[in-house]
Amino acid sequence: MKLSEQATELLHDAMRRNKTSDPEREEIETLIERLPDDRVLLYKNVVSNPIGDLPRYSIHIRLQHLLTFTTFLLLAFTGLPVYFIDAFWAEPFSQMLGGIDVTRVIHRTLASIMIFSMLYHVVTITGGTIYSIVLGKFDIRRTVIPGLKDLRDMKEDMLYFSGRRTQRPEMDKFMYKQKIHYFAAAFGNFVMIFSGSAFLFPDIWAGALPGGWAAYFQDIMRIAHSHEALLALVVIAFWHWYNVHLAPGRFPMQWTFLTGKITREHQMEEHFLEYLRNLVELPEERRFLSTFLDHFDLTEQERPVVGADPAPVPEG
Amino acid sequence: MMRVMHSKPFLRLLAVLVIGVSSYSTGAGAGAGAFEDDEACLMCHKYIRMARITEEGVFRSYYVPAGTFAKTVHRNVPCRDCHDYIKQLPHRKVEEGVRCDQECHSKKNPATGKPFSHKAIYDLYADSVHARDKNATGLDNDKPYCVTCHTNPVYNPNEAEPPKEILDRCELCHEKRDFVRQWYFHTSRRVLDIKRTGQEIVAICIRCHADQELIERHENAADEEGRPLGKKFPIAATSYQKSFHGKVTRYGLDGAATCLDCHADNAKYYEGVHKILPSRNPESPVSQQNRVETCRRCHEAADEKYAIVDPHPSFDEEFNPVLHKAEEIYGVVGEVVVTALLGLSLFETIGRRRDGVGWRLRRGSTWWRRSRRKRDRIIPR
Repeated sequence: MKLSEQATELLHDAMRRNKTSDPEREEIETLIERLPDDRVLLYKNVVSNPIGDLPRYSIHIRLQHLLTFTTFLLLAFTGLPVYFIDAFWAEPFSQMLGGIDVTRVIHRTLASIMIFSMLYHVVTITGGTIYSIVLGKFDIRRTVIPGLKDLRDMKEDMLYFSGRRTQRPEMDKFMYKQKIHYFAAAFGNFVMIFSGSAFLFPDIWAGALPGGWAAYFQDIMRIAHSHEALLALVVIAFWHWYNVHLAPGRFPMQWTFLTGKITREHQMEEHFLEYLRNLVELPEERRFLSTFLDHFDLTEQERPVVGADPAPVPEG
Repeated sequence: MMRVMHSKPFLRLLAVLVIGVSSYSTGAGAGAGAFEDDEACLMCHKYIRMARITEEGVFRSYYVPAGTFAKTVHRNVPCRDCHDYIKQLPHRKVEEGVRCDQECHSKKNPATGKPFSHKAIYDLYADSVHARDKNATGLDNDKPYCVTCHTNPVYNPNEAEPPKEILDRCELCHEKRDFVRQWYFHTSRRVLDIKRTGQEIVAICIRCHADQELIERHENAADEEGRPLGKKFPIAATSYQKSFHGKVTRYGLDGAATCLDCHADNAKYYEGVHKILPSRNPESPVSQQNRVETCRRCHEAADEKYAIVDPHPSFDEEFNPVLHKAEEIYGVVGEVVVTALLGLSLFETIGRRRDGVGWRLRRGSTWWRRSRRKRDRIIPR
C-alpha cells in the first residue's frame, strides 16, 4: 500500500515518538508495503473479534461513560415526569419510581454523581495529557480536539456515502462524528449542571450575578434545563444509539464501552490513522497482520484464494 | 276534646310523633339522632329531593344529610343559631341566608361568656381583595365567599375514636364520658395538624383563577373602568401550574411554595389567608416593599435581586418575550438536530450497505454481502 502523504507523516511521527528501533521500523514499513492499495479490501477481509481487538479506551474512560450514561438516563427518567406533567404517563411513571418525595432525592443524588463523573473525566484527560507530554508521546491529532481536517473528513465521508468516492477518508482516533458528540455532551453536561444549580440555589445565584441579570438568568435556566435534557435525550436516542447499536456492522452493540477494545475492521475502516499507530505500538498486531497477509493475497480482488486456510482468529 | 287537641302541649307531642314516625319510616333521618334537631328542621330537610332550580337556572339543594352533618364541626350548633331569620314553620322565603359574621352559636360559651362569632376573621376577609357581600351580583359574584373555601368540615375524619388513655385521664375530673369525648373532638380538630395540603390550597385557588371566562370578565371590566388589574392576574394559575413550585405541589410534595405561602402573611397564617391583598397594596407580602422578606421565608439568601425573579414564569410573548424567544430557538434547534441526525444516519446506512456491510459481525467480519461497487470480500467463507 502506498500511504497518503498525511498517513506517511503520521506514521513516521508515531515511530519517532515511540522511539521505534530500526528493525521494527523496517518491519512496519515492509508490512505496510504488503497491504493492498485499496484499504477497503483490507477491512472487508480482515478477521475481527466481536468484543474487540485493539485498545481504545482506558478503564477510567469506561468508568466515566458508565457513570455518565446511567446517571443521565435515571436523571431523565426522574426529571421528565415533572416536565411532561400533563402527559398520561407522567404521574404513574413518577409513582412507579417512588413518587416525588423519592424522585427528587434520587435526582439530586444522581446529579452529584454525574458532576463527580465529569470532574473525574477532566482530571483523567488532564493527567493523561500531562503524562503523554512528559513522555514525549503527546499528539494533538490523537485527541478529541477538532480541527479543519474533521471538516474535510466529513465532506469526504458524505461523498463516499453518496457513492462519489471509493474510499472513506483516513480518519484519526476520534472522527468528526465522535468529536461533535463529545462536545455536544460536554456542553449539555455543563448546561445541565449550571441550570440545575440555579434551581437548587436560586438565591445564591441571584446574589452573585450583577443587578437585573438574576431574573433573566433564572428564566433562561428554566428553559435550558428541560430543553437541553430533551435535546440530549434525542441525540442519545437517535444518534449515539444508532452509531453504537443500530448502525450496520455495530448491531446489536459495540463492546468497546465494556472491554475498552475496538474491532480491527472498525479501526481500519473509520480510524485508519489510529490503526497505523497501533502497528507502531503493538508488536502483536504486527505479528497478526503479517500472518494474515502470509495466508491471504488481497492484491487481486477478482481471484478469490481457493482452498486457503481459515484466517487466524485473534485470542480474547 | 277539641280544646285538648288545640292545646300547645298536644300540638308539640303531635309534632314530635310526626317527626319520629316520618324519620323512622323513610330512613332518611338515619343518624339524625346524632345531633340535636330540637326544632324539627329535618322534618322537611331530611328529604333528599328537597331542592329547586332558581330563576338563574342554578340547582339548589336544601337537603341536610343528617348522618353526615352529625360528624361535622357544627354538629352541636342548633340550626336557628345561624339561621336566626327562621321564625316559623314552614318558614318564609329566605332572602339573605346565613352571614358568616353574625353572632351565632355557643351562646353560653363558658370561656368568654359571649356568643361565638366568626366576625373577627370575617373583618379581615372584608379588607381583602376577595371581599364581597353574601349575595353579591355581577363581578363581585366571582369572588369567593367564606363557604367557597370552607365547607362544613367533617369532624376529625382520621380519628374515629379518641385514644382511651387520654379519655381516662380527662375522666378523672370530668365524669361524663360523652362530654369528654365531644370536647376532645372539638379541640383536637383545631390542635392537630389539619392545615390544608399544598394540593388542596392550589385546587381551591385555581378553581377561580384558572377560569378563563371569569378572568376575561374582570379584565374587560378593569379596562372599561380604567382601574389597574394585577399584571399576572390572567396567568396567575396557569403560570404557577407550569412553574417548578406548581409541578411538585401537584405531585403531592408538601413544602414547595403554594399560593398562600407568598400571597398570605405567614407571620399570622390564619389571619393572613383571609386577608389576601393585591400586590400593589404595600401591606401585601408580595408588594415591592415586602417581597424580599417573603422570599426569605424559604430562600434564606434572597435579596432585592432575587426578588425580581419571576415566580409566575410564562412562555407567552406578551408576558416574557425573552423566555418566548429562547423557547422558540430551542424548538428550532431541536427540530434541526433531529432531522439532521436522522438524515445523516439514514444516509450513512444506505451508503455503507451499498458497499456490502451486514448488520452483525459474524465469523470475524461484517462484510459478507455483495457490494454494488464491485469490491467484494475476497476471502471466501
